[in-house]
Amino acid sequence: MRLLPTRLRSLSVLATATLAAAGLSACGGGDSGSSDASTATSGTVNWWGWTPTDTATANGYIAAFNKQYPNIKVNYKLVNISDWVAALRPALASGKGPDVFDVQPGAYVTQFKSFAEDQTALAEQALGADWKNKVAPIGISGLSADGKLTAMSVGSVYAGMLWINGNIFGKYGLKPPTNLSEWQHVCQVLKQNKVGCFVQGAAQEGFDQDTLQSIANSVQPGLWTKVSTGDAKWTDPGIVKTFEIWKQLFDGGIMQEGAVGYQQYPDANNDFLTGKYGMVMMGTWYTQYATTKAMTAALSAAGVSGAKPFPILPITFPDVAGAGNTSEMYGDADFGLSISTKSGSKAAAETFVKWMATSAEGQQAIADQLNDLPAVKGVSPDFNQIQLVDPVTLGPVQDLITKAGSITEPRESLLSSDVQNAILAAATSVATGKATPQDATATLQQAAEAAGVTFK
Amino acid sequence: MTATTTRARVERRAVVQGSGRRRRPPGLPWILPALVLSVGLIYYGIGYTGYISTLNWDGISPGPEHVGAHNYTRILHDPVFWAAVRHTVVFYVVTFVIQTILGLTFAVVLHTRLRLAAIYKVIVFVPVVLAPAIMAPVFRHMFAPDGELNAVLRHVGLGGLAQPWLGQTNTALPVLMFITIWEWTGVTFVLYYAAMTQIDPSVLEAARMDGAGNLRTLVSIVWPELRGTTVALAMLGAIGALKTFDVPYLVTIGGPNYATEFLGTYIYRMTIPLSHVGYGAALSIILLVVALIMALALQFAGREREGR
Repeated sequence: MRLLPTRLRSLSVLATATLAAAGLSACGGGDSGSSDASTATSGTVNWWGWTPTDTATANGYIAAFNKQYPNIKVNYKLVNISDWVAALRPALASGKGPDVFDVQPGAYVTQFKSFAEDQTALAEQALGADWKNKVAPIGISGLSADGKLTAMSVGSVYAGMLWINGNIFGKYGLKPPTNLSEWQHVCQVLKQNKVGCFVQGAAQEGFDQDTLQSIANSVQPGLWTKVSTGDAKWTDPGIVKTFEIWKQLFDGGIMQEGAVGYQQYPDANNDFLTGKYGMVMMGTWYTQYATTKAMTAALSAAGVSGAKPFPILPITFPDVAGAGNTSEMYGDADFGLSISTKSGSKAAAETFVKWMATSAEGQQAIADQLNDLPAVKGVSPDFNQIQLVDPVTLGPVQDLITKAGSITEPRESLLSSDVQNAILAAATSVATGKATPQDATATLQQAAEAAGVTFK
Repeated sequence: MTATTTRARVERRAVVQGSGRRRRPPGLPWILPALVLSVGLIYYGIGYTGYISTLNWDGISPGPEHVGAHNYTRILHDPVFWAAVRHTVVFYVVTFVIQTILGLTFAVVLHTRLRLAAIYKVIVFVPVVLAPAIMAPVFRHMFAPDGELNAVLRHVGLGGLAQPWLGQTNTALPVLMFITIWEWTGVTFVLYYAAMTQIDPSVLEAARMDGAGNLRTLVSIVWPELRGTTVALAMLGAIGALKTFDVPYLVTIGGPNYATEFLGTYIYRMTIPLSHVGYGAALSIILLVVALIMALALQFAGREREGR
């Protein structure tokens, strides 16, 4: 009779101790000092990214990489950008996450820099001591933090232009608008013909910022950067004017109905690619859809079967302020590749990142996809190998690439996630009439100050 | 004499204690594993969240800053928090009332001798088992500016009512309430249906003999008998409203302009995309306290009525 309770007690104590130990070990987190199971020429690398936005493109890069390094297996996991932070944070913290992960200048660098290896030595090893002169400067500053290079830029993207559906504009004899009234006229014509005009996912902060920054550059070039760095306030009359014009896009029949309930991806993207709208606010990453291959794949992804690819053309953002300013483009490193400090395959991961970000073969593969402008200077797309939907697109695309090469204005790298969130709140509250541009910018200024931005 | 009496008392006590042991064996060893799991996973989690709520921390960086109750005072001045509370209250009242009316109606109707009743029961209950993640894209499409709802409205000559339902601050929340009602009315129906089978038929028969009609029987006999079920549904609905996350996150992402922000979505927004883990933890603690208070209040109200 006494043995049973004693045994039970012992078992209970054992169970308790086991559970407690399990709990404590779980609380202890992952082992940061994991040993390297790979070499520079063999191993398995798990790469997580929100871009390339289709796995076929990523697998194309990997296939090209494997021609040189057949014994390094790279697994690409595509995570939607809206789920990126939610997915990556616990994965990295647990030590069970990716070996290589995408990083973008700005908020992502701030959030994930502690999990990223310093790649300065790797860059020097790949490109020599003067490596900084060999890559686009926009790809270094935005990806550096706390004195370390958190990621090597694979390529850059630029925004500040619109894309139009060449077929729709051709069908209705329309010319690309150059100012606000022409833009409204284009929209009236399209509306009369039951075609959508301009589609924007105004529920997503990054794309609202693009449109707002373009408007601000039309009002006063460089002002957006000034307020981003704290050299001017968000209550500046130029920014108030920017939000007034933003509101006019909604009231003047340019923005589509219900834009503030739209996501840029997938809603606006799908609507543009399925021919429902004639114009969309996208950056240089959209150049890829000028090609037959990417356009066909995108149409399929948008749920259109058997649709014929149509030509898309980049146009300058209209001078919506009427101040005579040609709206400048702006850009950042699209994404850099970080190597996790907790990776168990660092040697193989370094080989992969080095190949993608610095090798002639890797950068040429990046350039030919037309998703990013390559990070290494002197590499450009080989248009002899690229099949465009319509040859007429070649000129505008080449002009765009040439123009982007000289852009220095940052896109998102100066803004923290708090300020980006405040911009979205200001944009949607003005668009829905819940706040005046003056009130919205005053609230935005308070939010920026609360987020730690110091204003002069 | 005294020694004998004392010994007898000791023996009797021993017998009583011994028999007591036999009747009620020590429970601690039996519940200990579950207790450890419960305390470890739930109460430890709550305690740790309470601790984090006193930090200014992004959830990753070493050396978080202790800010005491600052996160809580900030919440009190946060307009988005109060908007989320308002949305929760409106959402709860509307969804609970309509679900109750619909669930009760379906239960009453299906208790009559209705043909194909089994099929109707399935139709009413099917939405409960469909995952919101599956249905969200359907509803996003249905309520889109060029979606099915507007197409139907235009087709029947009500094109003037067509609008971007999810892209307006005044229509986005009603759409979410509609989706929730569609999804959960089946549960209300099933519980009322089951509760109605427990009503003593002789009571209903007596009411009939006293001349009560259908409506009178429903209001004066059936409805009071369902009070326990209604209280339970009210409690579940309240806690469900407080925990609402999936539908607004999947359909509107809390927008437009925070018009469909709930405590759950706001906690997620602050904790994950914006990395204010301390602030998000403070919001979580407030949510927990409100849920407890609401559950206790509803239970207390239910008991008090039963007592009367």
